[in-house]
Amino acid sequence: MADTVLGVRNLKVAFPCPGGVIRAVEGIDLDIHRGECAALVGESGCGKSVSAQAIMKLLNTPPAVCRVDKLWLDDLDLTHLPDRQMERIRGKHMAMIFQDAMTALNPVLTVGKQIDEIYLRHSRLSRREARQRTIEALELVEVPEARSRANSYPHQLSGGMRQRVLIALAFACVPKLIIADEPTTALDVTIQAQVLDVLKNMQLVHRVSALLITHDLSVVANMADTVYVMYAGKIVERAAMQELFLEPLHPYTHGLLASVPRISDERQPFVQIPDAVPHPMRKPAGCYFHPRCPRSNDPCRQRMPRLEGPDDGRAVRCWHPLRQPHEVRS
Amino acid sequence: MKRSYVIKRILYAVFIFFVVLTLNFFIPRIGVHDPAERYYPPQGGMSTIEYEIIKQFTREQYGFDVSTFQQYVRYLRGLLRLDLGTSLRSGSPKVTALIAQRLPWTLVLSVSTLVISLVTGLLFGTMAAWKRGRWQDTLLLNASTISVALPSFFIALMLSFYLGFRLELFPAYTNPNMVAQFDWSWDAIRMVFTNAALPIMSMSLGGIIGYSQITRNSVIAVTNEDYVVTARAKGLPQATVLYKHVLRNALLPLATSIGMNIGGLIGGAIIIEQVFNWQGMGTLFLEANSTKDYPLMMGIMLFLSAFAILANLVTELLYVILDPRVTVGDKR
Amino acid sequence: MSRPNVLLQVAQRGGSLVSLVRKLWQHPQGRLGLILAGCLVLVAILAPILAPYDPYDVTQRAAKGLHPSWQHPLGTTTTTGQDIFSMLIYGSRVSLMIGIGTGVALAFLGAVMGVMAGYLGGFVDNLIMRVVDIMLVIPTLPLIIVLTSLLGRSYFVIVLVFVIFGWTGLARVIRSLVLVLKNSNYVKAAELAGASRWYIMTKHILPGTSHLIIMNTALTSAGIMVAEAGLSFLGLGDPTAISWGKMLAEAQGGGALLFGAWWWIIAPGIGIFLSVFSFMRIGIVMEEIFNPRMKASSSIYKLFKHLNNTYLDEVFRSMEEEESVVREPPDRSDAPTPEGCHG
Repeated sequence: MADTVLGVRNLKVAFPCPGGVIRAVEGIDLDIHRGECAALVGESGCGKSVSAQAIMKLLNTPPAVCRVDKLWLDDLDLTHLPDRQMERIRGKHMAMIFQDAMTALNPVLTVGKQIDEIYLRHSRLSRREARQRTIEALELVEVPEARSRANSYPHQLSGGMRQRVLIALAFACVPKLIIADEPTTALDVTIQAQVLDVLKNMQLVHRVSALLITHDLSVVANMADTVYVMYAGKIVERAAMQELFLEPLHPYTHGLLASVPRISDERQPFVQIPDAVPHPMRKPAGCYFHPRCPRSNDPCRQRMPRLEGPDDGRAVRCWHPLRQPHEVRS
Repeated sequence: MKRSYVIKRILYAVFIFFVVLTLNFFIPRIGVHDPAERYYPPQGGMSTIEYEIIKQFTREQYGFDVSTFQQYVRYLRGLLRLDLGTSLRSGSPKVTALIAQRLPWTLVLSVSTLVISLVTGLLFGTMAAWKRGRWQDTLLLNASTISVALPSFFIALMLSFYLGFRLELFPAYTNPNMVAQFDWSWDAIRMVFTNAALPIMSMSLGGIIGYSQITRNSVIAVTNEDYVVTARAKGLPQATVLYKHVLRNALLPLATSIGMNIGGLIGGAIIIEQVFNWQGMGTLFLEANSTKDYPLMMGIMLFLSAFAILANLVTELLYVILDPRVTVGDKR
Repeated sequence: MSRPNVLLQVAQRGGSLVSLVRKLWQHPQGRLGLILAGCLVLVAILAPILAPYDPYDVTQRAAKGLHPSWQHPLGTTTTTGQDIFSMLIYGSRVSLMIGIGTGVALAFLGAVMGVMAGYLGGFVDNLIMRVVDIMLVIPTLPLIIVLTSLLGRSYFVIVLVFVIFGWTGLARVIRSLVLVLKNSNYVKAAELAGASRWYIMTKHILPGTSHLIIMNTALTSAGIMVAEAGLSFLGLGDPTAISWGKMLAEAQGGGALLFGAWWWIIAPGIGIFLSVFSFMRIGIVMEEIFNPRMKASSSIYKLFKHLNNTYLDEVFRSMEEEESVVREPPDRSDAPTPEGCHG
């Protein structure tokens, strides 16, 4: 526990709306260790991004309602921290990289100004010093001609450059935790690889813990140490990255992995998971995955399984996992 | 890049102005071949010779003594010398002189109205957006549906009745000596503003609520933008987020609507000036209308159109400065 | 959400006119608007029956300037002794006729222009949009005054002028919607299938814009009613008809302010207010129906006020791991506090 940088216990988020309540996140636990990169994986609409924003306490509370038993960052207890103090932690101790850099950067301010802001806010620097640091930060994320680029507006930069700006922004104060919400989804594949490299380098160099949120398993394979698989607001499987890829336990994880087309082994047929994620207002009874699950039977339709497994190791939420978690444990 | 955009906008504004001034020339000539027969039909007991003289005189007055094309050329030549023509009033004053005489009085009303509605509207609108769904917001919403349904001249009448006649807080009618006695003394200026109070109030109400509504919607739209979340994720305090990231962007659409409203502001004062008998451009226009003084009416129209075109142009150019995304090309 | 998307949503909220009216009726504000508008229409139609006196009767010299009484609920005019209540009833005819008539005509012209500009594009689009630009800078009220004085002060002329100079706003909105529709897949499919432009315009584009047109008709009708009242107030309406705007002008001219006859001013004011308000309500509610995001965002905050905390607790408890639910009986003190997050 002492080595846990981010700890989340039983985080729940709901959005009341006229037709009922959208149950976005249903009690997730996370433990991210120092220097570790954990990935939260799932299809769109499973509650990944909402979890991330809830951890940063960025959700507007109407419309969202959040509850959490315990939330801590290193030695700081954030569970009941008021907004005012949360503002001092955001950007300094925990930072976020957003998905779409085009919309995540203010179109009418130069990128330099937007990075300056974070230095001016969190450290006692003059404007000139802040700009100097901004330029250094941009150089670190391999933005060429950082000095002049700092005076560009977001729309004048390419997608990859904008994403680097966001990364520079997140690492500006060398926080303890970086939450990267689909950091490469909006990019071309080639640029994706470059940006991921930058992100990974920065994470390793600064020994920053990271929570990576993505639906892209190749990104997970590249970056993550630990993987949390999320489905319809609940964690369904937790594993070290390699173990997960070698031997998925949950039928959903299995389906996810199988649905990635591979050139290497042609014998395996291309699998896809039927149907789609249930509507967050009308989730099925029992295990949320059962309508799409090839292994489902009566108990699956009636009761939600628990997330079972050793405290710090593999865990799976399934009545009929491909193998029991303790069996895999080597 | 930017220079070419600016030149393009200016040329386009000139083109629009040319079309408008041409329309302006032809509109009063719709179906009018002879102004004399149209406006001054022969009266009983008038001999043919007498009527011929009147006809001749009227034609000259209206500028119908030469062919339409020659009239048009004469009109354009006049415009080049900033001459909007001659009014039919006794003493044949120049239209420009009459406008110059009345314009400042209308500007007193419209500029005050603009400033008051903008400042108050911005304040109310931002507050309503910030307190979305709470009573401040609901109040604004209800006020806006009610105020739009109440014509400004009705509000003017009520204000004039209640604040003017009943409470005697402000003059219910404009003091007829106000214009004549104006001498830039402190007392005279104070008199102008006490007389202008009710007209300004009646004109501002709609503006305040209109600008509040625009500001509110715009601020709310911007609040939902991703970059506002980014700004909050940076740990910026709420006030900084609001001021630097939300308002800055939310005011862009407001700039457009101001530009469009400025053009209409002077024309919109017509009814209110009439209610309070305020001696501005509006009453000048209505006077011209009641005496069929078409040269004066069209002169005022052209002046108002030019004003609107200029206001639009300035807004468009200002937009280039305010919003770095606008560079080249047509916005539409 | 960007503007085109909103527009597209408006277009796709399908349903016939009947279902639209039903939805309006289900909305409390919409029902208010419909009832008010319905009452006004009834009053206008039944004016000769409802009015206790002939409002055009200017011969009642003996009954000038009467205060409200049972005989004359709103008194009589100071100048000619007309019964103000009867005038009020008759005034609804002008307001509604001009408002609705102009609104419908405007909608037709605006839609045609907008669809042509948006769908045909090129030269036609350019021409129409340039005309729109020009109309935008010409001051409307002075222009209407000039034209009515040139063409004669009749309601036909007034409506004509309103239509000729009022279509631009709708045309612009329709045009931007059409530009979105034009690039939508079903229109492209129809084009590929060889459908003619005329066919696509009338069968695919126009139905897509119908909701926007209906909504705009309600809103512009309301706007026109205000404008008509203004014109009549300036004495530029049809001199032979009784309208609320003209009543206000007469009240001012007849010294209502001076004699304290506030009812003479209030009555036509309320008439104008109710007619404009009812049409605006209908238009705004339609906007909400077509664009549910707007409705949702406002109602969520209302919802929050009335949100039952125990209900939310129940929702959150149902998210717990099953075992803990079984083991621990529902216990208030054990439930996580609502302040757990975000204060």
